[in-house]
Amino acid sequence: MRRRPGIGGLQTAAAARDQYRLLGENVAKLRTDLMKEQLATFRAQLEDFARKHKNDIRKNPAFRSQFHEMCAKVGVDPLASNKGFWAELLGIGDFYYEIGVQIVDICLATRPHNGGLINLQELCNLLRQRRKSDREAVSEDDCLRAISKLKVLGSGFEVISVGKKKLVRSVPTELNKDHNEILELAQAQGFVTVDEVEKQLVWTSGRAIDALDTLLEDGLAMIDDGHRDGKRRYWFPCVVHLSQYEFSLTYVET
Amino acid sequence: MGNNRLFETATLTSSGRPVFLPNEVECQLLSNVDLEAEEESSSLFSLQSGLLILTTHRLLWFSSSSSSSAAPPVSASIPLASITHIFSPKKSIKSIFTSHRIRFQVTATDSRSVVIKVVVRGKVDWDGFLGNVWDCWRGRAWESFDTSERPCASGGLYGTDGSVRMVGVAGILRKEQEMWETTDKSLQDAFQDLNALMSKAKEMVMLAEKMRQKLLSGSSTQTSSTNEDEIGSKEEMHDWLLSVGIVSPVTKESVGALYHQQLLRQLADFVRNPLERAGGMINLIDIYCLFNRARGTELISPDDLMQACSLWQKFDVPVMLRKFDSGVMVIQNKSHSDEEIFNRIRAVVKKSEALRAGISASDAAITIGIAPAMAKEYLLSAESKGLLCRDISPDGFRFYINLFPNIDSLDVYLEMRASSKKWPLMVEQKWWRGGGQS
Repeated sequence: MRRRPGIGGLQTAAAARDQYRLLGENVAKLRTDLMKEQLATFRAQLEDFARKHKNDIRKNPAFRSQFHEMCAKVGVDPLASNKGFWAELLGIGDFYYEIGVQIVDICLATRPHNGGLINLQELCNLLRQRRKSDREAVSEDDCLRAISKLKVLGSGFEVISVGKKKLVRSVPTELNKDHNEILELAQAQGFVTVDEVEKQLVWTSGRAIDALDTLLEDGLAMIDDGHRDGKRRYWFPCVVHLSQYEFSLTYVET
Repeated sequence: MGNNRLFETATLTSSGRPVFLPNEVECQLLSNVDLEAEEESSSLFSLQSGLLILTTHRLLWFSSSSSSSAAPPVSASIPLASITHIFSPKKSIKSIFTSHRIRFQVTATDSRSVVIKVVVRGKVDWDGFLGNVWDCWRGRAWESFDTSERPCASGGLYGTDGSVRMVGVAGILRKEQEMWETTDKSLQDAFQDLNALMSKAKEMVMLAEKMRQKLLSGSSTQTSSTNEDEIGSKEEMHDWLLSVGIVSPVTKESVGALYHQQLLRQLADFVRNPLERAGGMINLIDIYCLFNRARGTELISPDDLMQACSLWQKFDVPVMLRKFDSGVMVIQNKSHSDEEIFNRIRAVVKKSEALRAGISASDAAITIGIAPAMAKEYLLSAESKGLLCRDISPDGFRFYINLFPNIDSLDVYLEMRASSKKWPLMVEQKWWRGGGQS
């Protein structure tokens, strides 16, 4: 197109732009048609798969977690929306969202006791007790996936690793490295004393007391001043399975 | 009730549940079922109106008379292994109106071949039941575990007939292995199918990525002719991305998938009641639970909720999403203003008890009428505005009115009266009377 000056030139330039735009739209339309076709074939294939293996996914937690891993590798998120093909045809959406609701319930119910931090195993046990009537088994992996979906709603739902155990946090309070180390130390006996913290982690007493006080404020720790040696013990309900411990009452002589 | 000489009876536990064989799993339970047998010698025997339980090993029938009735409960147990043929149901006009029925050919206990008809009168997912029957019969679960069904007469690892017994740690390990082997076989083809599916999904993802780029770039190019077509196709693209499972970002121009558009309206309507009850502000996660519980089935995912709420600002709805510094996200009425809450807080904090002891989040929640978690957020934001001062003690957070701005640098010392019992009130009078600085 030879560039011409003046109004004529502008008009031809505009005409050329229009032509290109139409061409572009046509190409785009072709691509969208192609996309539609691809989507239809994909959906048909997924339907096939669902017909044969829907039960396997529901009944077998190991298969389910394998399925999720493969989806993650490919880059799809089967739990992204309940309107997606995955949820519609395989029916796993409702399963996980329901688990999410139940997990929120359980965390809320146990918050007065453990301050918003709960052991993953304990959470799974409580979840299974609630779901006793349902046929489908819930594995830890399922809980983790449900919680990872809940994260997007704010309110701080997250899984943190402390030592060997995994804890589920349901409050927005952040735990820094010092707090994590104290929690890890507490896993041995369920409680820590200031001396223990100072000795094991080689901290100054100020640092230890500071961290323990923050944990106390957040409701994650409980004080026990009733011990015979007079040392204050900080108990952490979140790392303790209360059923594991036998409590012996020591009477304080007044 | 006909006489039940054709089949074994099934045993019940004391609470009325059937005693299952080892590894037998219940698949489905139907009520109001008749069991009829068509014998060669034209005398029909039938069991009327009972409970039918389909398990992986057997078909169990129980009469549904309660335990207090005089007649002893009748039961029948048909092992799936003895079913030689399942007749496919005849589809006719009559079959739509009559109750569902299915016929099997069974080898009875006295080695005769009998045709059994199961008539289901109640409301039932007939196709699902048929599917289950075929699955259980084909699954042949009773064959794989025959070795483990031998009764343990003697101790030791090996049973009376030399087969390996399930005892001790070795037994547990062996059982696990057997379970894996059987599930492995049925899962192998499942995995193969899964692999094929995933490779197709990968193609879809690549295509979807191109679409997503187009969506994102489309918003930046100049579109002097924004025709309906383009907007429609953008919506479609969002829909497709959603179907495949890719979360598409809600950009400034895009309005998201049609599904989310519908959802956001539904949510806006639903949220009105809980908002009123909670005093104007409610946590996002609470809404997630409430909404899903109200729905029952076809639940929404957390991502759906987020997308729908973030789209509210583009549509004309009376609610909005708000994010606090701590990361907590809440839904509140558009008409709701922070100023009003701050005024209320100011009023509460000036009362005499509050001047002495401050207010905590729960106190504020009760007096202002909002949830405690929200109250804490408000107190914190009031503090950042300079309205309140915090006091951290082993009791927790308490907030007092912020008097620092009222300190006149030329008149720093406050007068204390001798009768200092009423000191806080005196202070108030001096400061507020002095005036001018607030």
